[in-house]
Amino acid sequence: MGAINLLGIACNWSPFACYNAAGQAGMELPPSFRLMRVMCIGRINQALILRAFEYGADGVILLECFDEDCRYGPGPEVGHTNVERVRRLLHFLGIGQERLLEKAFAANEKEALVRALWEFSEQIEELGPNPAKPRQERVAS
Amino acid sequence: MILDNPRVKEIIARRHLHMCLECGKCSASCPRYISGKQYSPRMLAHKLIAEPQDRAYIENSVWDCLTCGQCQERCPSGVEFVQLILDMRRELAASQGLMGYRAHDGALHSWMRIMTSPDLKQNRTQWLSPELKTRTRGETAYFVGCAPYFDVFFAGLGVRTLDIAKDSVRLLNRLGVEPVVLEQERCCGHDLLWSGDQDNFTELCRLNYQEFKAAGVREIVVSCPECHSVLSQYLPQVVQGCDLKVTLLIDLARRAAEQGLLDFTPLEGVVTYQDPCRLGRQAGCLEAPRELLGRIPGLELKEMANHGLGALCCGNNSFINCDAYSKRHQVERLRQGLATGAGLLVTACPKCMIHLTCAMRDPHQDGPLQMKVRDLASLLADHIR
Repeated sequence: MGAINLLGIACNWSPFACYNAAGQAGMELPPSFRLMRVMCIGRINQALILRAFEYGADGVILLECFDEDCRYGPGPEVGHTNVERVRRLLHFLGIGQERLLEKAFAANEKEALVRALWEFSEQIEELGPNPAKPRQERVAS
Repeated sequence: MILDNPRVKEIIARRHLHMCLECGKCSASCPRYISGKQYSPRMLAHKLIAEPQDRAYIENSVWDCLTCGQCQERCPSGVEFVQLILDMRRELAASQGLMGYRAHDGALHSWMRIMTSPDLKQNRTQWLSPELKTRTRGETAYFVGCAPYFDVFFAGLGVRTLDIAKDSVRLLNRLGVEPVVLEQERCCGHDLLWSGDQDNFTELCRLNYQEFKAAGVREIVVSCPECHSVLSQYLPQVVQGCDLKVTLLIDLARRAAEQGLLDFTPLEGVVTYQDPCRLGRQAGCLEAPRELLGRIPGLELKEMANHGLGALCCGNNSFINCDAYSKRHQVERLRQGLATGAGLLVTACPKCMIHLTCAMRDPHQDGPLQMKVRDLASLLADHIR
């Protein structure tokens, strides 16, 4: 395992189809990568991305559909706005905006998805750990 | 079990809850209760003393309070209800991990906790421009607070909180002060404190104090009432030997105006003023904003039905438990503002601005709720002669 923690948040439709296909094809993924599947990237708000960094993520990548492919309508556009704002917050915080990325995939682009994950992983390895030390919240019972 | 918890018994005694006569003035004036929520300060007092086995009621109520202080203001028996709520939140957060339902999914609390990291190298002063004269070391600092962060997070609301910081520095420059603005200043921690997260709050206080000391700061000027409340009242409780002087920008401006050092250009029209809870009822600063507004030629101040010590809260505090009752309450407040005939609602707290602007956006309300909202510091800075 690498010293860094990467979190991918993937839309259930095109990106997850790519991820699934990559798994079936036995393609290797960065060892430090963990995936969270959501029904649509529009489900993710600024708070959930920030929470990942609060909990010690070193990099977060949002894997989404192309705007015109969204099953629900405005999902990817919501994602763009959130990413744009959280990147500015990460810059203020000194965590660095390059630690948050969004990428769109069509359902048949497993190679592109795997390549994007490796590139992101290399980029974050180079940056090193997130300077914000994780401080876990005390969660109710 | 609350019944056997000696710490809860101690809180009840320390906050004089046994003095309660069950007169009900607290509930009759509570904005939550009036908005129809199943929450009553009087009932909470009763449960804590007489039915402590009703844990569900107590645990919900402790987080439902807006901590606006209206009940405490009206209480004839001197029950320190707001402090009771704060103590109970600290207790329930520490012993049971309860944190209330956090608005905006807790994003604001997240960045506040991220700021407890000592190694953080923030880039938070990029809004400073050459015409704003500031320093990196000196005796007097201006505490910016969360303004740069709110500006981005609430971009969708069109609330430009960073303008308050810029205008405050402009005002200070006009008063001959070149304030220190710290690159590594943290959030004051108000919302962590009031949502019970004492450990992270203490950490923020400690880091801020270190930053002030390292820059040679002895006096801090603040424009935000919540930062003022924390820095003057709560930070000295957790930082041993704290010797910082904390001054409200509007007090400074008022003194300068009284000495004839500050004059304003005219603004024709009617405005109304929203007293922030932490400024009015809790810091007792009711006169200074009104006096300053009165010094702007042509400006007519018309008070809302509830004002001064009886002012209505903006509907939410520390970004927890924002709900339909908050909304109902905010709509009521905006209607009071509109009823004055004012074209402008002036407030002195960025959070009042955020919450009231948010409530205005409801397309389903019967009749428009839109009012222009501005911060007092911005209004004054725009009208400096």
